[in-house]
Amino acid sequence: MAKQLAFYVDLNKCSGCKACQIACKDKSNLPVGVRWRRVFQYEGGEWINQNGQMIPSNVYAYSVSSACMHCAKPICMEVCPTSAISKRDDGIVLINADICIGCRYCSWACPYGAPQFNEELNVMTKCDMCHDLVDKGERPACVESCPYRAMDFGPLNELQAKYGTFADPAPLPDSNITEPAVVYKPNKVTKSSGNANGRLMNLEEL
Amino acid sequence: MDTREWALLAFTILGQTAAGLMIVLMIVRTYIAAKAGNDLADRLTNRPLYIVVPVMAVAFIASLFHLGSPLHIVRAVPNIGSSWLSREVVFAVIFMVFAALYTFLQWRKVGSLGLRIAIGWITVLLAAAYIYAMGMVYMITTQPAWNTIATPINFVIGSLLLGTLGMAAGLIAGGHKAEETNIVHTVLQALAIAAIVLLGIEFIVLPIFMAYLATQGGAALQSLNMMVGSYGVAFFFRLLLLFVGAGVLAAYLYRNASIAEKEKTLASLAYSAFALALVSEVLGRFIFYASHYRIGI
Amino acid sequence: MTQNNFLTKALNDTVMSRRSFLKWSAAIGGTAALAGGVDFGLKAIEGAAAAGEEQTLTVGCYHNCGGRCILATKVKDGTILRIVPDPTPVEDETPEVPRAIPCVRGRSQIRRVYAPDRLKYPMKRVGKRGEGKFERISWEEALDTIANEMKRIKDTYGNEAFYFNYAWGVTWTGPDGSSIIQRLLSMFGGYVGYYGTYSEAAYGVAMPYITGGYAGNSADDVVNSKLVLLLGDNSLVTRSGGDNGGYWYMKAAQNGTKFIVVDPILTDTVAATQGEWVPINPGTDVALIAAMAYVMVKENLYDKEFMATHTAGFDEATLPEGAPRNSSYMAYLMGKGYDKVEKTPEWAAAITGIPAERIANLAREIASVKPCAIIQCWGPQRRAYGEQFVRAVPILAAMTGNFGISGGNTGQLPGGGYCPMGGIPVPPNPVQVSIPCFMWPDFVTRGTEMTVEKDYIRGASTGWSANAGDTTTTQANKDLRLKSNMKFMWNHGGNCIINQHANVNYTRQVLEDDSKLEMIVTVEVGNTPSTLYSDIILPGTTGFEADNIITGEGHGIKGNHAWALFNHKVIEPMFEAKDDVWIAEQLADRLGFGEEFRDGHTTREDWLREMVAGAQASIPDFPSLEEFKEKGYFKLPGGKPFVAFEAFRADPEANPLGTATGKIEIYSPVLANLKNEEIPPIPSYIPEWEGVSDPLREKYPLLMMTTHFIARSHSTFENVDILREAHPQCLWINSLDAEARGIKNGDMVKVYNDRGIVHIPAYVTNRVRPGTTNMPQGAHFTPNADGVDIRGCGNTLTNYRPTPMAKGFTAHTNLVQVEKL
Repeated sequence: MAKQLAFYVDLNKCSGCKACQIACKDKSNLPVGVRWRRVFQYEGGEWINQNGQMIPSNVYAYSVSSACMHCAKPICMEVCPTSAISKRDDGIVLINADICIGCRYCSWACPYGAPQFNEELNVMTKCDMCHDLVDKGERPACVESCPYRAMDFGPLNELQAKYGTFADPAPLPDSNITEPAVVYKPNKVTKSSGNANGRLMNLEEL
Repeated sequence: MDTREWALLAFTILGQTAAGLMIVLMIVRTYIAAKAGNDLADRLTNRPLYIVVPVMAVAFIASLFHLGSPLHIVRAVPNIGSSWLSREVVFAVIFMVFAALYTFLQWRKVGSLGLRIAIGWITVLLAAAYIYAMGMVYMITTQPAWNTIATPINFVIGSLLLGTLGMAAGLIAGGHKAEETNIVHTVLQALAIAAIVLLGIEFIVLPIFMAYLATQGGAALQSLNMMVGSYGVAFFFRLLLLFVGAGVLAAYLYRNASIAEKEKTLASLAYSAFALALVSEVLGRFIFYASHYRIGI
Repeated sequence: MTQNNFLTKALNDTVMSRRSFLKWSAAIGGTAALAGGVDFGLKAIEGAAAAGEEQTLTVGCYHNCGGRCILATKVKDGTILRIVPDPTPVEDETPEVPRAIPCVRGRSQIRRVYAPDRLKYPMKRVGKRGEGKFERISWEEALDTIANEMKRIKDTYGNEAFYFNYAWGVTWTGPDGSSIIQRLLSMFGGYVGYYGTYSEAAYGVAMPYITGGYAGNSADDVVNSKLVLLLGDNSLVTRSGGDNGGYWYMKAAQNGTKFIVVDPILTDTVAATQGEWVPINPGTDVALIAAMAYVMVKENLYDKEFMATHTAGFDEATLPEGAPRNSSYMAYLMGKGYDKVEKTPEWAAAITGIPAERIANLAREIASVKPCAIIQCWGPQRRAYGEQFVRAVPILAAMTGNFGISGGNTGQLPGGGYCPMGGIPVPPNPVQVSIPCFMWPDFVTRGTEMTVEKDYIRGASTGWSANAGDTTTTQANKDLRLKSNMKFMWNHGGNCIINQHANVNYTRQVLEDDSKLEMIVTVEVGNTPSTLYSDIILPGTTGFEADNIITGEGHGIKGNHAWALFNHKVIEPMFEAKDDVWIAEQLADRLGFGEEFRDGHTTREDWLREMVAGAQASIPDFPSLEEFKEKGYFKLPGGKPFVAFEAFRADPEANPLGTATGKIEIYSPVLANLKNEEIPPIPSYIPEWEGVSDPLREKYPLLMMTTHFIARSHSTFENVDILREAHPQCLWINSLDAEARGIKNGDMVKVYNDRGIVHIPAYVTNRVRPGTTNMPQGAHFTPNADGVDIRGCGNTLTNYRPTPMAKGFTAHTNLVQVEKL
């Protein structure tokens, strides 16, 4: 297997604070409207009447931090009409802003909503895994930013050996579609992709 | 839907019209040539031919509004190996070049008849490839409402329908001499039947497509709900206009074309049928873009 | 995905990036009413640029969140590039002393420094107060005007017309902040101070009447707990990041500690600790506690010996001398107390909304799992009868035997270590009278009528209320009066004039009449609703624009370790911003005591050196100023977690508490003497006005809280566009309540009561109890032409009605109605 760098997020340690999103925006100068890293709030359950008292029934909530998955089968790269999207030898998928024409076709295709249009640059942009830092031997800004140390970064096979292979927490899509380079550690209430009894709550992340 | 998708809407509808017209035009030309000779065939089909390239040009201009960096449009070509969007652009360009060439040859009567016909048919093949690629652009695995065989079928049928009714309108608008009335009317009748058949195909594909979405759940179901829910009114009018345009008016067109003295009625019928079909396709495309739900987030 | 316009609704800002903000700052500076007329912004920035290498310098993240984090700042050519976490090498991190990695707020600091609404020049009001019309003036004119007004007001009304307003924008920092201004005002002849806080007034005032002072185990001790019971504690949001409470809760949860959280909301703390949620009706915790105590008594599940030897008034046998019969907590529980109601789980179930069986099981669980940390936070005491909650929780800690042991807690908020540094010396205030901080509008309208008995005015106070629960003193000073109403207010990095004070619309009325309060001076870094109500606005520096020294906050809720940080000046002050020391010195010169004020400190560094000397006095290892500055931080090694009242537990006779009886005073003889039904001697459930059982619910059926919010430290950071994007301001409403009103997630709604109207998007969720809503506090009050707030400022709807004893803010006790817009 060729080298593939990947993200890891431990959902047991994620409070949904979005420090990772802000650190990402700080590092990469992203304007409002472009969120390379997004944190989805997911909840389920309901309130029921039990002998005249309202009680919660299986009400749960958790957060999932997600960015570009630097997939093994990057659908963005497949559909891009230009050759702006490429995959490096270490697996990082990049958009070359000098080539992109901003047709937004990749955003229609990517099930993770990773490529996003930058109104200032008029091209598509997405998480570049802080490749400039990675090339210097550092870790991506988001990974470094987590106050609870929920994130990790490294070769996918090493992360999988350490943390397992789960990559399908709801509301993320089925990992079979694009084979994302990511590992999640589920917490007690984490549901899997396609779960019908939960809702994505934070509309600002859509 | 934002402005960029309106640009796409204009690009696809105009592109379909141009390509569809080109295809139908060559068929009609062949028919007339067989029945009444090449001179008449050229004369009757050249006028409609002259609008193919301008329509395509407008389509291209519209497409630029979809792009964030329109000046870089030439870069949309390299990924022809895997991207249907690349292929669509490439076929669109080549189609337009050949359409322009064919138009020029027809206009100036340059080249032998055989060459012109050959160029015409090559253009038709390119038009067909263009329309097919246009439909395939939307065959994205993560877009369940698009990723069905119904999408390319719709693009092809829509294109042929616009081409058919456009040809009918163009044929009448072009005018003809009294002695040509018979052949023109025969062609009109054929076009009317073609429109009705195409309508029939759409009306068969559509319920199957919707039933399919309903069984898929998830993003597909969301799309279906959007189509018949939020955009229910638009959806209803799309079907109604299509039915009236390509069905009722086409039927009247067929009937009236058998009566020699009804030129004016025929003209209004042909124009209205085309106009209704065009509006219906615009509505349909609007719903198409507005109601897609991608799998995932 | 289809387009949704939710974001555009929630954000009313221009799309902006760092690349363009300089341009924008300048442009806005030229046009906005507040920002003066002349555009020389870009020049000021160019002036700051010093060519050179990229540097990484430490800056402290000091805001009133209750924590302190270390920002390492990458800076080049006078521009801040980005922020990286605590520069302590990862290998130097120990389990006791984690790196202080900043939270989501701290990460956004650059956008606060370069915010388009930065105050750029001194300004004076030219329209009516509150109208928002200002004119740019020179520093010379600003300082002259302030000095002249100060002299005039002192001559006309005396020093008791001066007030130093409650504010926390710059506090617990080095030379900048409250102290330097208090030094100025004291030397000027004095000012009326305040006591208490907006945060924990009832806690600070009432806690001494049960445990004699306030102390909890250090936050890192929760790692030693088997079970943690949190009451209204959302530390993962309020004290997020760093080595603050949230970090330790998360660590404990990872370690296998079970969390049970009593809260009307399934908070991020419940979710992140994967704890058990006990959704309670707001304002009813005291009933829950009574019922749990009842179960423990009935089922013989409590530490009888500890209660007999360490507490006063739990039962009749330990009642202090002179207390009437049946006035003990036991009598209250068993239906023999003043209300003759047995505190059964069924009784509590009807009030709290928690099923009786759940209450009983909860009591059994916390009584049996040891050690169990029982922790209260400050939300539930910012309510109508907050003092009762404050005093009730320690009873549970005592009954379950968890008081004074590791892994247990005192029922109070956890504490943490801090590094003692020297500070700016503040001479004694010649004016010996202070007011509860929340009562300042009364000081404006009827100051001279305020009394000790009714309004709890007091002798001079330091402001911080931890040790200020001094009702006996106030009894001795019954005739204390203010000689003047408030005529001059200094508002130093604070937003309590309008935004963070209750009932915005009432406060506006009070302030709009400028014949009452004649002069308001505000020092700020960015535009706030409070600057709009000021007469002179002075642009201050941010933490990035002046050298400073930052230590852990006095009430730092963190591990039992300490650190200090050298806060570097990484860029030149933006525009005409000036630091607080300079401002105070300039005024001291104009007021005629400049030399005395400087006291030999000719540079800012002199003050810093004195602070370091202060630290060296108690910590011999503390480095020199130069070494400290070079490394950027000083961390003391961590020790074992701090256990509060350990000695008292071991020997209560030898180590008595600071209460009248020296015991945990469940019955307080001092409070009994007040003979006030709203301040009973034992912690009792008092149904709240605008609470669950108020008949007003027929008109305004929904309870509304105004909790702290992850994207802000109170109202600080509210102007950061990317934080508003990440965490938009919404009204949390239960899906059943929303459904009944035809409201869907993201819909705009109208929230209103008799005090005001707010338009805000709804967050329709099952994470909040039916009947309860939440509008996180701190959004900037922004009225439209009809006076409707359109940015979601909770205080548009809160009530200026203080708690009975501490006169504290009752921010969470509100009734509202909600309609779809």
